[in-house]
Amino acid sequence: MQGNIACAEGALAAGCSFFGGYPITPSTEVAEHMARILPKKGGTFIQMEDELASISSIIGASWAGARSMTATSGPGFSLMMENIGYAVMTETPIVIVNIQRGGPSTGQPTMGAQGDMMQCRFGSHGDYSTIALVPSTVQEMFDLTAKAFNLADRFRCPVFLMSDEIIGHMREKVTIPEEVDIIRRRPLKEGKLPFEPEDDMIPGFPEFGKGYRVHVTGLTHDERGYPEATNCELHSELVTRLVNKIESKRHEIADYDIINPQAEIVFITYGPPGRAVRQLMHDYSDLEIGHLNLRIVWPFPEKVLKEFPNASKFIVPELNMGQMAREIQRHTSIEVESLPKIGGEMHTPDELFRAMGGDS
Amino acid sequence: MKSVEDWYRHDRMPHIFCTGCGNGTVINCTLEAVMQMGWDIDNTIFISGIGCSSRSPGYITTDSLHTTHGRALAFATGVKLAKPEFDVVVFTGDGDLSAIGGNHFIHACRRNINMTVICMNNMIYGMTGGQGSPCTPAGAISTTTPYGATEPVFDLARLAEASGANYSARWTAYHVKELTKAIKVGMEIPGFSFIEAMTQCPTSYGRRNKLRTTTSMLEYMRDNAVLLNKAKRMEAEGRELSPGRFTVGEFVKRFRPALGVVKDEE
Amino acid sequence: MKLVIDQNLCKGCNLCTMVCPYNIFQEGSELNKKGVVVPELDRPERCTNCRLASLYQRRLCGVCQLICPDQAIKWIEEEPYESMKVVIEY
Repeated sequence: MQGNIACAEGALAAGCSFFGGYPITPSTEVAEHMARILPKKGGTFIQMEDELASISSIIGASWAGARSMTATSGPGFSLMMENIGYAVMTETPIVIVNIQRGGPSTGQPTMGAQGDMMQCRFGSHGDYSTIALVPSTVQEMFDLTAKAFNLADRFRCPVFLMSDEIIGHMREKVTIPEEVDIIRRRPLKEGKLPFEPEDDMIPGFPEFGKGYRVHVTGLTHDERGYPEATNCELHSELVTRLVNKIESKRHEIADYDIINPQAEIVFITYGPPGRAVRQLMHDYSDLEIGHLNLRIVWPFPEKVLKEFPNASKFIVPELNMGQMAREIQRHTSIEVESLPKIGGEMHTPDELFRAMGGDS
Repeated sequence: MKSVEDWYRHDRMPHIFCTGCGNGTVINCTLEAVMQMGWDIDNTIFISGIGCSSRSPGYITTDSLHTTHGRALAFATGVKLAKPEFDVVVFTGDGDLSAIGGNHFIHACRRNINMTVICMNNMIYGMTGGQGSPCTPAGAISTTTPYGATEPVFDLARLAEASGANYSARWTAYHVKELTKAIKVGMEIPGFSFIEAMTQCPTSYGRRNKLRTTTSMLEYMRDNAVLLNKAKRMEAEGRELSPGRFTVGEFVKRFRPALGVVKDEE
Repeated sequence: MKLVIDQNLCKGCNLCTMVCPYNIFQEGSELNKKGVVVPELDRPERCTNCRLASLYQRRLCGVCQLICPDQAIKWIEEEPYESMKVVIEY
């Protein structure tokens, strides 16, 4: 099964009932598959006039109670930025799939890259926090898409599936489970104001049409949802909560693989470079190579770096100019070596081997 | 007896609109039409973008979505298609709808999606202090057209018609009865209904254009509005509408296939 | 029914003075608590809706209410007549 199809299947398995999209290489197969399957399942597929509209429509659908998602790539992702901020501010659960391609601008539509990792974290204006999942296999494409919906519903925030052309167009064997865990959003409790947080800092969801009569606005709002744009304390409180509701749970939701924690040299990867590391470990099975493969990159679970007590060097191969390497260096005093590669090709195991100081 | 009063968020009144702003009038007319339709408060969704007009849903006690600049129609499309049984009304302004949201507008018309869109056209960007919009008439002074607007304007009602909307009408904040009726007809018709309500903005438009008082702005709209039929007659006689005048009336009413229509269960 | 202007909501735009067919609304002359010159009512009992709304069970005319941008004009049920308490001081 192709990665993009696995992504769409994952969404369907998770109960996604609304897809608003716009064609863009290399993510189009997700939309095509959804267009084929969703109407048969009683859901709605709509091809909007641009990416601004597709993200708007899925936010609207989410408030109407649907599990909704869109899929795009770099240029479309850039267009979505404003409304990603809107989804953060209004605490709307949505899933955005970004099949990354080479940028900036139109760049390399048919080549893989991981250049949007910082954009998905900081792209929209203002302070906020998001959740980003990165698959490195087609199976994970399925699993993580399904998981993204649960995370979005739980945290009431946009959740990103930051895949790339390589995984998106890769064909691999996928095992589709008979049933996928579906944890739906928690409805607003009676007696609570529409935006009154519960103990976990997340308010219940006042779905449209259920009599909550909620006013949803992207302006700074109080717990009733009413705009209070000039109230400094309120704004500070609101934005701090929006960040902390996710950041405070970063270790709880962290999702990663650790291999050889006693190693001195440790590769930290997310997405396709992890595959090269796995090949390297296979080729040099006599070498002690540590590997940390992250499936949830944002929020970054920095405590996981402590799982490698003997590490003398972290090597971070990425298909960008070292976006996450900087984030990792921020959290550790151990040397972090960035191994950037752009242009659309993956790292080869040999390149990784040379980075370890080996002679091939 | 059901009353319009039930539809207001009284804890938010008075609203932020300036003295004499026509938006309040359009809200009245809309809610009056909603009352006549007998819609359920909990099944009606008001959606808006950004701007003065778009603050309106915040004063109406239904589920409402105050979205980003220009995108109201795209959000509304999502809401409506996810739950077609909702009655969806979109409030928008001339800048919101025709400038930044122009693409969404023509596509929503083309899809003919079943909702009612009310555009409060005050011919200016009011919220940001009176910049020229695509509907600022030629010669009018705004902060970004200090020597008079030179660009031709959008005829929004005609644009909606040409783009495929099932219903399109234009009235002004002076013609409250006609406006209410047009909104009601728009709500009744399945498919995309567009009602352009010319409103006065005494603060940002009138003040710079020799229409300092609210009443003078309303008089301007009363005196310059030409009924569509009369305009057609004039056209047939070879007379042209003098600059500054505009047509009002029902531009189109038809029953093309529409999106998001719930078929009555029988 | 009695015609009233809500002093808290009215912003003094005087649109009602323009549309009332009976000219019941007159431009006011005094500032109220909020600093707004609220229109004054000239013999409001002439208003059609005041007289006939209860008979027809619907709102009649109502142009002032529709055009009022501030939702300040409304009709209220008149309170039943109460005899005034007169305190006589000797």
